[in-house]
Amino acid sequence: MPLTVDREAIAELPNPLGLAGIEFVEYATSRPQALGQVLETIGFRPVARHRSREVLLYRQGAMNIVINAHDGARPRGAQPSETPVITAVGLRVRDAATAYRRALDRGAWAVPVQVEVMELHIPAIHGVGASRLYFIDRADAFSIWDVDFVPIPTVDKHPPALVGLHWFGLVQYIGNDRMEDWCEFYRELFGFERLADTQRFGILPKGRILRSPCGSFYWQLIEPEPGQLDVEGEESLQRIGLGTPDVPAAVAALRARGVAFVEAGELHTGARGALTVAQLGGLMFELVKYP
Amino acid sequence: MTQATGFIDDFGMDTITLAGELSAKLAAMREAGFSQVMLKANDIVGHPGGVAAAVQVVRASGLRVTGFQVLRDFEGLTGHLHDYKVDIAKGMLEMAHALVAPLLLVCSSTSQHASSDLEAIARDLRKLAMLAVPLGIRIAYEGLSWGRTINEFTTAWQVVQRADAPNLGLGFDSYHALATKTALDGIELVDPKKIFLVQLADFMWQETRTVEERISTARTFRVFPGEGVHSATVAELVQRLDAMGYRGDYSFEVFNDDYQQLPLPLVAARARRSAEWLGEQVLRRAVPLPGRLRLRR
Repeated sequence: MPLTVDREAIAELPNPLGLAGIEFVEYATSRPQALGQVLETIGFRPVARHRSREVLLYRQGAMNIVINAHDGARPRGAQPSETPVITAVGLRVRDAATAYRRALDRGAWAVPVQVEVMELHIPAIHGVGASRLYFIDRADAFSIWDVDFVPIPTVDKHPPALVGLHWFGLVQYIGNDRMEDWCEFYRELFGFERLADTQRFGILPKGRILRSPCGSFYWQLIEPEPGQLDVEGEESLQRIGLGTPDVPAAVAALRARGVAFVEAGELHTGARGALTVAQLGGLMFELVKYP
Repeated sequence: MTQATGFIDDFGMDTITLAGELSAKLAAMREAGFSQVMLKANDIVGHPGGVAAAVQVVRASGLRVTGFQVLRDFEGLTGHLHDYKVDIAKGMLEMAHALVAPLLLVCSSTSQHASSDLEAIARDLRKLAMLAVPLGIRIAYEGLSWGRTINEFTTAWQVVQRADAPNLGLGFDSYHALATKTALDGIELVDPKKIFLVQLADFMWQETRTVEERISTARTFRVFPGEGVHSATVAELVQRLDAMGYRGDYSFEVFNDDYQQLPLPLVAARARRSAEWLGEQVLRRAVPLPGRLRLRR
């Protein structure tokens, strides 16, 4: 009997998994070169290739983006499409095994592991739609990239971030009447807390923002437009948000590299944020003033 | 709907009431004018063409799926029994998802192996609710009148509140409330938004004195609302739910051995009569309620 715990009713820690940021975001696409070119315009550089699969690692600053064009391991119906889709987010945690076990205990779905010889077994649970959430506890000296990836010769393994870009977070589209469900999901499994509706980031007026328990990134949930009749309920990770301390400077730098921004209707580039024009059939990025 | 027929869209049949295979059941319901169906797992799994074919049959029927049933004896277990039941639950959630069923019905445990600790029961239901979130499914928890710990809607509601998950709510079955003679006043304490499903049935006995009698009546001799001796109570219940603001679905959870050996159209016609009585005379629905327009997900 854990008497001491019972006696004092010690509340759970606010960051139960020891969450400490985003290690990577993965896109799946059948056109990895095309996505790579877009990523390069916003400052990412290819730095490594996977040992056994058609998977590339792009990086800038502390951000890793994985492009997965490997279709062998995917279930039927989930082959990569031409339009890049966010298929995974790697979450840095204190201890991956503990985080994984805790998530399963609270109702996460385990993703069956498919590793090749000498590759890392990275535990994952199912997220929204066909996406996965990985738990990673090696982000420092000897990282997951050192095991499963081979550096591309001659390139800088740590290209600096353009105009201070870093992860702001993820934007998730949800179905009608699903806001409370998803808030509870992220709270229960990871310890995310919702921000007051008055606290906004970026230029998009919609949705609800959840703050990670480590306070270093945000998860934004966006419902369909009111009255929208398309209620097929496709839920997905729609885009990544890139934080920058100076949005106008970032916009100017990216425009110089050929990136176009949405300037239409209610959406305009401003000091609070900006949204890139969709490419490759729907791929977009959001800039957010943060911090 | 024509002027000669009543508005019965609030009500649906359960596949458990009818004999035969799935497509015949769905056709009979449709023919009788129903627009929604509560599906039982056996009807899907036992379809001659398998689950995938059954899913197609349901989609092609044009009937809206009210929900999917039933997960039994889930809560309160530990160790390997708990792990086993979680696997069963995941299998049922995946089937419900394939059927575009918005809801999974869960009956309170009858297992002697299950804990009576309300905290443990609530924790398991909360876990089940979280499992259901990515699939977009709501969990309706119903107190079976012979459940070991939870056997009345009042205690089922307490556990639902304690579990406190947005996609976990109460499944209310009139049979069980009548069988345990639970005072209907208790329904006033339930948040109508947290009643996810109402199942209606009547029966022919004034009382079910023993648990055995409750079980046998529940499984073999329920009748449609208006056909039994508790019609006035069922009507009162429906009126109260409506007055409280409940706008969800009502399905006829009628297990009846006689109906299992009668032609489907005949049984569906009885269900139709029951739905018209409830819709026209009890609820006085002349037209669809505002905001009741629903689209298939």
